[in-house]
Amino acid sequence: MGVENNELEKVIIQSVMEELARKGLLSQKGKDHMMSAAMMDTPIVPNLQSEEMVTFPPQEEMQIANPFNADAVRAMKKLTPARIGIGRAGTRPKTMSLLRFLADHAVAQDAVFLDVSEEFLQRMNMMSVQSAAASKDEFLQRPELGRRLSEEAAKSIAEKCEKNVQVQILIVDGLSSSAIEANIPDLLPALMQGLKSSGIKVGAPFFIKNGRVWVQDHVASIVNCDVVISLIGERPGLGTAESLSAYMIYRPDENTVEADRTVISNIHKGGIPPAEAGAHLTDVIKQILSAKASGVKLNQQK
Amino acid sequence: MPESNNQRITSVGIDIGTTTTQLVISQLTIENTASGSLVPHVEITDKEVIHRSQIYFTPLIDRDLVNAVAISKILESEYKAAGLSPEMIDTGAVIITGETAKKENAKAIIDALAGFAGDFVVATAGANLEAIFAGKGSGAALYSSERHQVVVNIDVGGGTSNYATFFEGKAVDSSCINVGGHLIEFERHGDRITYISEPAKIALQITGQRLQVGERVTLPQLRPVVQAMAASVVEVLKTPLHSDLTQKLLMTPPLQLGHQIRKVMISGGVADYVYAENQPTTMTEVTAFGDFGPLLGWELKASLKSAGFVLEKPNETVRATVIGTGTQSVNLSGSTIHLQETTLPLRNVMVVSPFSAIIPETPLKIAEIIRNEIIRLQMDHSEGVVAIAMKGPRTMSFSDINSLAQGLLLGLQDYIVKDKPLILVIEADCGKVLGQCVHASANRLLEVICIDQIEVDNCDYIDIGKPLMGGRVVPVVLKTLVFNR
Ligand code: B12
Repeated sequence: MGVENNELEKVIIQSVMEELARKGLLSQKGKDHMMSAAMMDTPIVPNLQSEEMVTFPPQEEMQIANPFNADAVRAMKKLTPARIGIGRAGTRPKTMSLLRFLADHAVAQDAVFLDVSEEFLQRMNMMSVQSAAASKDEFLQRPELGRRLSEEAAKSIAEKCEKNVQVQILIVDGLSSSAIEANIPDLLPALMQGLKSSGIKVGAPFFIKNGRVWVQDHVASIVNCDVVISLIGERPGLGTAESLSAYMIYRPDENTVEADRTVISNIHKGGIPPAEAGAHLTDVIKQILSAKASGVKLNQQK
Repeated sequence: MPESNNQRITSVGIDIGTTTTQLVISQLTIENTASGSLVPHVEITDKEVIHRSQIYFTPLIDRDLVNAVAISKILESEYKAAGLSPEMIDTGAVIITGETAKKENAKAIIDALAGFAGDFVVATAGANLEAIFAGKGSGAALYSSERHQVVVNIDVGGGTSNYATFFEGKAVDSSCINVGGHLIEFERHGDRITYISEPAKIALQITGQRLQVGERVTLPQLRPVVQAMAASVVEVLKTPLHSDLTQKLLMTPPLQLGHQIRKVMISGGVADYVYAENQPTTMTEVTAFGDFGPLLGWELKASLKSAGFVLEKPNETVRATVIGTGTQSVNLSGSTIHLQETTLPLRNVMVVSPFSAIIPETPLKIAEIIRNEIIRLQMDHSEGVVAIAMKGPRTMSFSDINSLAQGLLLGLQDYIVKDKPLILVIEADCGKVLGQCVHASANRLLEVICIDQIEVDNCDYIDIGKPLMGGRVVPVVLKTLVFNR
């Protein structure tokens, strides 16, 4: 901005302020404050070198300027991760709320688009196969491809996996790879421990990339297990991108419908803690095994 | 197996106070409130008072000793009036309050009442717990959580005034002062003094009044000392700096006043006179019950108003404490559990909390803390069943939970050898997996009951009921107060 322009700007600001103050719409103090801000000449140049981390104030922090009952706002904020009690700047959100929204949105997008890392799969010591969707784009654009295994995957499962087990566990990225990395390290050992100490025969868990819920039916048809359970990343929301679901089904076949599945959702550190979920899922699987049914059919037996 | 989604418990609460004794019988509904896709969560969803007794004068043998047999007679006739027999009562709590609480009554009462409920807790409640029960019974606790406002409940009875400050439904502060409507006794509807208690003597002395037993007094003569007592009650709400009289009358440390107070509720026997339209104008009106309760109520109102406090009306006045005792002492029940029971129900399980700070990382260190605590408490393994309580594992990771399980088994080795069930109570939401880890780490069949999402305090007692919901959860009755700690 040129020097003259800058001077002109100050003159304009000053006359507007004075007009507002004259009409009583602005206090003397308010006017002085804004003027001093406008008179500061240092231009704001973003520092492109620094990669400073932005930290947001804690979610529970009061963002409303003059709450009538601050305790009430705090109590309500405690009940929900939704963006309530965030105040406003005129008719728009405050800068911090907007930034937080954009950041959460970015986290959600990352959860969908990123892959579960190689390093993670190695650490968990899991076989990894892929659905018929060759890429993330294809996975997102053509849901039906994520519902069955690639030919190669079907082959290696047929070759490597133990057959006729009682339970086959699948780790499936689904719509959130972040959910897998965040929860599986605590959920899987709890689930394995629970099933084993109940004397249930479990096949080695493995990972399916670009998979959707129905891919479990395809796997079951190959390994011939009683129950197949998919630990799958849920569609991320703006509250958390780390939420995992467990979809279970007893002996799926060509007549299977969605209602035949049992689902336990919202597994993450702010929902059902993953280790606890592992122990709870053990119980659910035991019920499914003894009822020889899952989903609505299981509920009807209760 | 059919899963029942709710169950009812019948509970009796008895309040034996300085002046009056009363009881209520309530029915609590326990329900699974979680949706099908979530881990079951069992809570008390409804509390209904199904019977309120008459208000009896507390039967005394002499000025200090409660007549336990007469109390059991009251219970008998009230059960009859309610159409209930002792077998229909699942649990009960007796709270002995105010001045009577100091005496060796509790033992006699517990003996006299044996057989009147599945099992009784008898508590000579400390003044602070009494205050909290009164505030829960009066509706102050609920008011604070519904309106999101701080409210102080003062239960003004015959001998004491008990303060409890509530914030978002929880008691955050409490205190007790020796002011009550029965501290000076009169001939009923008369003006002759028949008894002056110690605290009243102090108040008379400090205010320079000279009243004696046997003397006849006028309303103007009586008013100053009652005003001084009312002022002391209000002073505790206002400031931590107290007058000589207030200091002498306080029976516990004063309110800490960490929250700003604007709203006040009064319960207890004197409450009805606080909320009365008109003030008593003659000594006959003042001494209608042989004390000065009506005058204290009126002066308390005046004093609160002039100090700028806003008086809110409670749902219950005289019955606040007993309703609090009957419906609140029976607390939330456990949710996800690992259960392998043969011995339920269990009654009066003592809770031990070995971990004061964060739980260490290794099983060995965890075991060491448990052993030391057992030595410190001089717990004899041959005695009753205990429950080990803790806040949570070091972190919620599987490996920390597993270490905790191993540490617990190691530390409790000698205890488990006695073929006793291992009972764990944990605040964090990981009871099921902790129980599973214990089960997996124990190298033999072991009865494990692991209850989570329950807060228990130092040396509480719990009842663990028969399993519900197809065997997946157990109701836990938390007894926050027990006689003879
Ligand atoms: C997206 C979604 C849907 C979408 C699915 C669209 C699609 N074709 O992909 C629609 C709108 C159709 C849907 C419908 C229903 N949903 Co829905 N849905 C979700 C949501 C928000 C995310 C699911 C997800 O991320 N899946 C992972 C991806 C990778 O799976 P996918 O293979 O791409 O998609 C499959 C699953 O999403 C599955 N699915 C979706 N919902 C449900 C519900 C049940 C009971 C089952 C068995 C399967 C199922 O169907 C998809 C196709 O196969 C979850 C919320 C959550 N926290 O998980 C609720 C959620 C799973 N749904 C739920 C419910 C109740 C339903 C309905 C029964 C609602 C109704 N009363 O009609 C129906 C039934 C669905 C069915 N297919 O029969 C509940 C399940 C609770 C429970 N355990 O009983 C959840 C947890 C929401 C909640 N908190 O209440 N749902």
